[in-house]
Amino acid sequence: MKKLLLAGLLGALLAGPAMTGAASAATIGVTMAQFDDNFLTVLRNGMIDYAKTVPDTTLQVEDAGDDVNKQLSQIQNFAASKVDAIIVNPVDTDATAAMSKLAADANIPLVYVNRQPVNLDTLPANQSFVGSNETDSGTLEAKQVCKLLKGAGKGSGADIYIIEGKLDNQSARQRTQDVHDVIGTPDCSFMKVIDQQTANYQRDQAQSLMANWLTAGTKFDAVVSNNDEMAIGAIQAMKAAGMDTKSVIIGGIDATQDALASMKAGDLKVTVFQDAAGQGKGAVDTALALTKGQKVEKAVWVPFQLVTPENMDQYMSKN
Amino acid sequence: MAEVAGVVKETPSANARRRTWPPELNIFIGLVVIAAIFEILGWTLQGQSFLANPARLQIMILQVAIVGIIAVGVTQVIITGGIDLSSGSVVSASAMIAMSFAQTSTYARAVYPTLTDLPVIVPILVGLACGLVAGLINGLLIAYTKIPAFIATLGMMVSARGVADWYTKGKPVSFPTDAYAAIGAGFRPVLIFLVIAIIFQLILRYTLYGKRTYAIGSNENAARVSGINVERHLVLVYAIAGLLAAVAAIVVSSRNLTAQAGMGFGYELDAIAMAVIGGTSLAGGRGSITGTVLGALIFGVITSGFTFLRVDAFYQEIIKGIIIVGAVVQDVYRQRLRGRI
Repeated sequence: MKKLLLAGLLGALLAGPAMTGAASAATIGVTMAQFDDNFLTVLRNGMIDYAKTVPDTTLQVEDAGDDVNKQLSQIQNFAASKVDAIIVNPVDTDATAAMSKLAADANIPLVYVNRQPVNLDTLPANQSFVGSNETDSGTLEAKQVCKLLKGAGKGSGADIYIIEGKLDNQSARQRTQDVHDVIGTPDCSFMKVIDQQTANYQRDQAQSLMANWLTAGTKFDAVVSNNDEMAIGAIQAMKAAGMDTKSVIIGGIDATQDALASMKAGDLKVTVFQDAAGQGKGAVDTALALTKGQKVEKAVWVPFQLVTPENMDQYMSKN
Repeated sequence: MAEVAGVVKETPSANARRRTWPPELNIFIGLVVIAAIFEILGWTLQGQSFLANPARLQIMILQVAIVGIIAVGVTQVIITGGIDLSSGSVVSASAMIAMSFAQTSTYARAVYPTLTDLPVIVPILVGLACGLVAGLINGLLIAYTKIPAFIATLGMMVSARGVADWYTKGKPVSFPTDAYAAIGAGFRPVLIFLVIAIIFQLILRYTLYGKRTYAIGSNENAARVSGINVERHLVLVYAIAGLLAAVAAIVVSSRNLTAQAGMGFGYELDAIAMAVIGGTSLAGGRGSITGTVLGALIFGVITSGFTFLRVDAFYQEIIKGIIIVGAVVQDVYRQRLRGRI
């Protein structure tokens, strides 16, 4: 049933531009890196839903199927059919120079979304990037953990563990670096890292890691994790060991459904939300501005948002 | 121990040698040596004992129990001279599908909103069926199309991961019922692992199934000539391996309260490594579940030991690799020595 609905939805999507196509004021061609990615699906739907609210705007959304070459031909097709603007969620951020050139030659505005293009600094005038600044996520998380530790009266010295994501992953390295950078500021220099180990973004590995840390009996005040899944793994290990999770500050990133449930239960104290739908909306807005010849920034940042027990309710239905 | 070794040296028959010094003993000694090294380093670097810590002894085995369950199935596959690369992916696919029938009604976004709060036996049977089907396909392909086990199970590894991704379009499946969550809670994964290990140790050692498994791995043609239905037996062996991967899937998803498409990544290689460290020969015909359990324990001791010493993950992986190769090198060397006498 679900599959059928999806197929119907896809059909409607494909038929959409054909039915309304030429008559509308602005047609935007969109090529997404992947249709089957959860985060990108939220982003895609954010674009589609927002475009519906803007009069005379039509989106033509294509799936690049994670294939750089396919994406390039889609952009060529968009250019040939003279769309008013193109939105690209790049399959490979190193392959964007060719895309920029294609669009510039056809004199069609182009907006990259979510993944930062390698040629960001040299983008032509009518091209732009809409996304979130990765350094924000880890910084927001670490600063909030620092604030909560201070609030708990541990401002004179607090010991923390860092659980790292995949070590060959840029975002994981960045997020860990962010934590160290926050500790480097005078405000939060009271935090001391006891140990940092990888759990590859996986809950089960974080569970084992935390259990191993617990056996050493070292006292700690906070666990800062590169994502929510590993934070939840740590919480589960602490619970299994009969520890009180309320007295330890545990932070993650992503604001997944599981994480929000854990936050509701009082275990997870901090997470960070990346606004997929907001990026989609921002991309459409930027594309429309460019079609009207307005000047836009090279990079339009959609901020990461800190999620705490106080404001978590507004994020319950977002991811 | 040195005395025993001395006695063995004078025994002329290779069979007698094998009886007096089972290969598992070597692995056990290896385990003790590794643990002792960590104990010494623990006192010198951390100022506390590595082993005299009940919580740590528990986690050492707990963290390898789930892969250990897979390793039991993989060991019997390797004994037939085959290999199973699909177990990690089968874990993720079975976990996703099983978990989708184990969700509680309190979660608003269940995969099947009308099928929540089902009795715990439903997701268990569904999960086991998934593993069984994957294992059967592996077995049928290997036995009847005669393609190498490496290729057949490589195909399953890729396809099953695809199934896991496709099933919910990459979304995690979480929020199981309390009954499902209880399966892998606390120390239960270890109990499940040990019960399965004991059962299969006995089966391999004392039943016709075991004898046929070793016979096929030692010499497939001889096994065939002596009347063993090799094809049928291979299907059975791979089906059981798939079933055990599904057991691991149920335990891991229950323990983590979630199933995700990326779950079980690399489990197949860890399971193979446990078997190989435990003395199972990739050439087939040789190996035991006892050895695999010891191999799993070596993995557990190393993981806990390095975390205890706060050694970076990079070095853990490097040393794990060296131990895998080292275990096989000493095994091959011992085999050659035995052959010469």
